[in-house]
Amino acid sequence: MFINFKGFKTYINTGGKKVDKNKTTLCFIHGSGQNHLSFVQQSRYFANKGYSVIIPDLPGHGFSEGKPCISIEESAEWIFDLFKELNLNDVVYLGHSQGCLTGLELNNNHPKLLKGMIFIAGSNIIPVNQFLIDLASKDFKKAYKMMVTWGHGKDGAMFTNNMPGHAHFGEGFNIMNMNNDKILKIDLEACNKYDSGIEATKRIDIPTLAVLAKFDQMTPLKSGQKFVDLLDNCDLKILDCGHFLQAERPKELNIFISSYLRKLN
Amino acid sequence: MSENYKFDTLSLHAGHTPDKETGSRAVPIYQTTSYVFKDTEEAAALYNMEIGGHLYSRISNPTVAALEQRLAALEGGSSAIACSSGMAAMHLVVTALCSSGDHIVASSKMYGANINLLQHTMPRFGVTTDFVDPNDPNAIEKAIKPNTKIVFGEVIGNPGLDIMDVPTIAKICKNKGVPLVLDATFNTPFLMQPFAHGANIIIHSLTKWLGGHGIAIGGAVVNGGNFDWGDKEKFPTISGDHFALGGISFWEEFGPAALTMKIRAEGMYNFGPSISPTNAFYLMQGIETLPLRMKKHMENTHELLSFLQDHELVEWVKHPDLETHPDHLVAKKILPKGSGSVVVFGIKGGRKAGQTFIESVQLASHLANVGDAKTLLIHPGSTTHSHLSAEAMKVSGLTEDMIRLSVGLEDIDDIKKDFEKGFRAVSKLIK
Repeated sequence: MFINFKGFKTYINTGGKKVDKNKTTLCFIHGSGQNHLSFVQQSRYFANKGYSVIIPDLPGHGFSEGKPCISIEESAEWIFDLFKELNLNDVVYLGHSQGCLTGLELNNNHPKLLKGMIFIAGSNIIPVNQFLIDLASKDFKKAYKMMVTWGHGKDGAMFTNNMPGHAHFGEGFNIMNMNNDKILKIDLEACNKYDSGIEATKRIDIPTLAVLAKFDQMTPLKSGQKFVDLLDNCDLKILDCGHFLQAERPKELNIFISSYLRKLN
Repeated sequence: MSENYKFDTLSLHAGHTPDKETGSRAVPIYQTTSYVFKDTEEAAALYNMEIGGHLYSRISNPTVAALEQRLAALEGGSSAIACSSGMAAMHLVVTALCSSGDHIVASSKMYGANINLLQHTMPRFGVTTDFVDPNDPNAIEKAIKPNTKIVFGEVIGNPGLDIMDVPTIAKICKNKGVPLVLDATFNTPFLMQPFAHGANIIIHSLTKWLGGHGIAIGGAVVNGGNFDWGDKEKFPTISGDHFALGGISFWEEFGPAALTMKIRAEGMYNFGPSISPTNAFYLMQGIETLPLRMKKHMENTHELLSFLQDHELVEWVKHPDLETHPDHLVAKKILPKGSGSVVVFGIKGGRKAGQTFIESVQLASHLANVGDAKTLLIHPGSTTHSHLSAEAMKVSGLTEDMIRLSVGLEDIDDIKKDFEKGFRAVSKLIK
């Protein structure tokens, strides 16, 4: 659905169903240079399993207009305001990559807001290679190609896919290419400079789920495991794929999420 | 980290890894109509296209999916759908994008069945086409109307061998907000990848060079994933509410894959032009050697071009790699590895001489196909384009004496010797 939010046309994917605040809302937040299409195999799946789903395109991403958020803190406040706008109060947060940092900051500033948190291919610090940041500015399409290549495991390289006929590389590139062409650099810089993640991790007091990828080159498994070690009540799952695990291992991820949600409720 | 494998490697491997249960190195032929659901929840999710997988082989099949993913890899596309023939692919694209009252701009110089579909069949359903010279970008631009949903052409025209200036026409289409759909059968992704030049959708007859052995009919639509379907008024079939699946918008739910999902959900589901898993397997076997075959096809073609140009009984020879071809410069720009292995030529003595030549050669086969590993010949005026009027033939760049030659992989000396037999028969005829 499209709404006017903070004066800008904003897109929120709802998995083909209407937002229902009487249900638990699953809020998926995408990573750097991504948009709602990061969660193609989660959006309608969970919207048809009794949950209300919202997957906003952050400003300048996908179909959303508006001034991009230049920091994790700004993104977190944008999401908090969106919850208020939609009058949501029973929310489980699911972040991918940069979306994990945004979730940490959201919970840090608004404790008791979230009922649960799921971290997908994430960590509490995501340093970014300066070469990639510079490339995102000089030649963003080349940067997209590099990220898509680094971001997938063997399924990407071999063009195997549970979606018949689909190619991870081609779709991944075109999803990134739908965004404002300045957005990747802004997102990567936001990740790079966010340094409150470790403190924010320590303030989490709700049950969490972390799903990490064995061959993740964007947020390496070791970094994710260190993050999980700081969480008191986190169920850790590891999948044998790359960073974009929601596309590479959607069935397994959806089972983990479903199981976590059942326990949470 | 993933590897970015190169073309030759992808031709062999893309779309398949060894089967986890059996270790099968080759792509297994999943000769099945349907797939057992784990539970009702999974069945509902598959029917509703919430998650990937297979439910019925009219819509998708694991062997066919491997072929589709290999094609997407070789073209640098976002996704692909394989179907029963190249014409089925064409039909799937037209019906996915056009409704009654819509308009298409198409090349006037292309395969007879493509022209038939657009000129005679689609108008009965309210979709009209203006045919324009594919070598005239200005004419293409002028022909685009507010209700134009497709600009369509063949990279290498069949059988006239006109070359579309794809980068120039792609820019026009982008500015006008209309997808450029190209039949890339004659070039194959080995010679040229249209998405790299700005095209949006590719159609293939896999029966030809991709399959390469004349044993299986098949087609495919490859989706570049690079077109913005967001204009709901212009592209309601992609970005508007779909009649099934809870009224979703394919564009909002699937983004770059929107067209593919639309074709899967409507075209394959409602029309059912599916390819058999066995044919998909055969075609993939062909694709494994595509790079090797295309190199040899081009070597033999260039040798034969010299042979024909020098022959006293040949009136004219047309091929885009010849400097005399009007599109030679465009061909050099977009087809640097060569402009395909179809050659057209005219024999002194006109229609009768052409027929005599075809009936006198022994190695080359007289049949209605191109792109086989074997050398093939046909007289378009009396076969593939026989339904066209004299005027339409002229517009399509055809002449009565034209012979279409699809150069095969035989030893080039044997092809030349075979042709000499044909020329000797012609020589006797015209003396």
